[in-house]
Amino acid sequence: MENAKALQFEQPSFFQRLKGMLGVDFYRLFHTPLFYIFITIAAIIPALVSMGAMGEGETAGMFTNAWQIIAADSPLYVIHDMGEYANMNMVFIFGGIMVSIFIGHDYRSGYVKQLFTTHAKKEDYMISKTLVSAFSMVCMCFTYLIGGMIAGAATGLPFTVNAGSLLCAILGKMIMSLGWASLYTFINVIFRRKFGISIALCFVLGTGIPVIGAAALVGNTAALNIFLYGSSVQACLSSNFVSVVICLMNSVVWAVVYNVLGAVILYHRDVY
Amino acid sequence: MNAIEIRNLTKAFGDKLAVNGLTMSVPEGAIYGFIGENGSGKSTTEKCICGLIQPSSGEIKLWGKDYRDQGARAQIGVLIEAPGCFPNYSVWNNMKLQAANLGIKNEDEEIRRVLHLVRMDGAASNKFKNCSLGMKQRIGIAFALLGNPKLLVLDEPINGLDADGMRIMREILLDLSHRGTSVLISSHILGELEKIATHYGIIRGGKMLREMTASELNANCPTYVALKTNETERARDILQQAYGRAEIDEQTGEVRVYGAYAEDVAKYLFGNFGIAVSEIRTAKISLEEYYVGLMQEGRR
Repeated sequence: MENAKALQFEQPSFFQRLKGMLGVDFYRLFHTPLFYIFITIAAIIPALVSMGAMGEGETAGMFTNAWQIIAADSPLYVIHDMGEYANMNMVFIFGGIMVSIFIGHDYRSGYVKQLFTTHAKKEDYMISKTLVSAFSMVCMCFTYLIGGMIAGAATGLPFTVNAGSLLCAILGKMIMSLGWASLYTFINVIFRRKFGISIALCFVLGTGIPVIGAAALVGNTAALNIFLYGSSVQACLSSNFVSVVICLMNSVVWAVVYNVLGAVILYHRDVY
Repeated sequence: MNAIEIRNLTKAFGDKLAVNGLTMSVPEGAIYGFIGENGSGKSTTEKCICGLIQPSSGEIKLWGKDYRDQGARAQIGVLIEAPGCFPNYSVWNNMKLQAANLGIKNEDEEIRRVLHLVRMDGAASNKFKNCSLGMKQRIGIAFALLGNPKLLVLDEPINGLDADGMRIMREILLDLSHRGTSVLISSHILGELEKIATHYGIIRGGKMLREMTASELNANCPTYVALKTNETERARDILQQAYGRAEIDEQTGEVRVYGAYAEDVAKYLFGNFGIAVSEIRTAKISLEEYYVGLMQEGRR
């Protein structure tokens, strides 16, 4: 009884909990070969894309400007050729696969079991995974950018662009990483140990096929910017500060929505 | 105050009721042996307590607070099934990650302390996947001990441990219990559990069959005289008449007589009926025997 009276419970603050969890997730990210493999893949993709563009097949001549490897000229949702599609947005396809493997490992190893028996809150888990996944996708955007510049130089195409628009396009796409990361985290929380399904779903959504399909029906409309893929396309070589704001708003709103939904699911379902 | 108080806990997986209106309480400082057959609902109950699965209905309180209370949760050390470690990381790094999640300051010192407690100091740099089953169990116990929790929930922690591992485990749990830590431990190795438990809960079909203290169990486990003779059945019938309760142990072929003294029984059989006793000893019903009897009774 005396012991019971002596027991005092400290409620760890949100920042204390998140700091610990982020520390763990970043440690894991930097200590897994997965991260380095995927940032390398991101750097190689532009080379593969530009090799196709320099060939003699259907894709030959799809780029007229080296920066098109990074972003399309204008926000086109209705795709006519690979040149309008194959750019930094491809990071979000591979990012989904990486996030699925990264989070899937939490479940396979039993780490979530260990984590959720502590004072960790479910929303902390969503936030931490989203931030770390977004960071990894931003890193992939960086290596894609470097790879794209090297590949662009190798193609001999001119580097013609408005520097401000280019900066807004790159910034916009990097900002979109947050929204995509939250979507992928959410999908993985739903499918948990069935991470094969998560990978497939993340891949399909990352390609933007649903939005491209919708665009084929409703045409090129700015309304498609409400989707993650839409705003990612919006960040193009003709973008401006407004495009960045749209990307930011879209990314943050979706991140909040997916984090809340993910936390609700985690609270109402068996974790392990 | 009880460390764990469960009232009418129910957990259904689809149509199947894994836990069915379970009520139990683990007093502070107790080592609570949680016993039951495979699939009786022990692990499900423990997972509910730890917040890994959501109860369908019922109430779980930890030190009088709801089990979801973050402050209370921070006081629990858990080993459910196997420890949740990343196989390619070293034992040390896995423990560092858990220490960070627990918000432990001076984590290096704390990790060294718990690894020393389970005699795994030398394995700190080993990759987790390279550890043997017994080593993994010890590491799992070290995980549970991180941060000096006030309540330990251990699911089959003795499985895979060698004799030394079991002894260490016993010493650790007894020491913690003396310091006021409460322990909920499930195990099928009843002989080992009997050496440490202060309370017992026997579960069957998701329901609490019996809950008792070690002294109550002791009272329920009478001493008996076990003897061997060539006329087993005749001896059993005679002793049944004389002492009220006698039976044949089918495994050993011994006759068991309850409420008697060995010397009296031997004299009585030989003196009055000419039945010679080749072996005789006094023994006590073990927890295992009591448990098996209870389960057989339940099936009937």
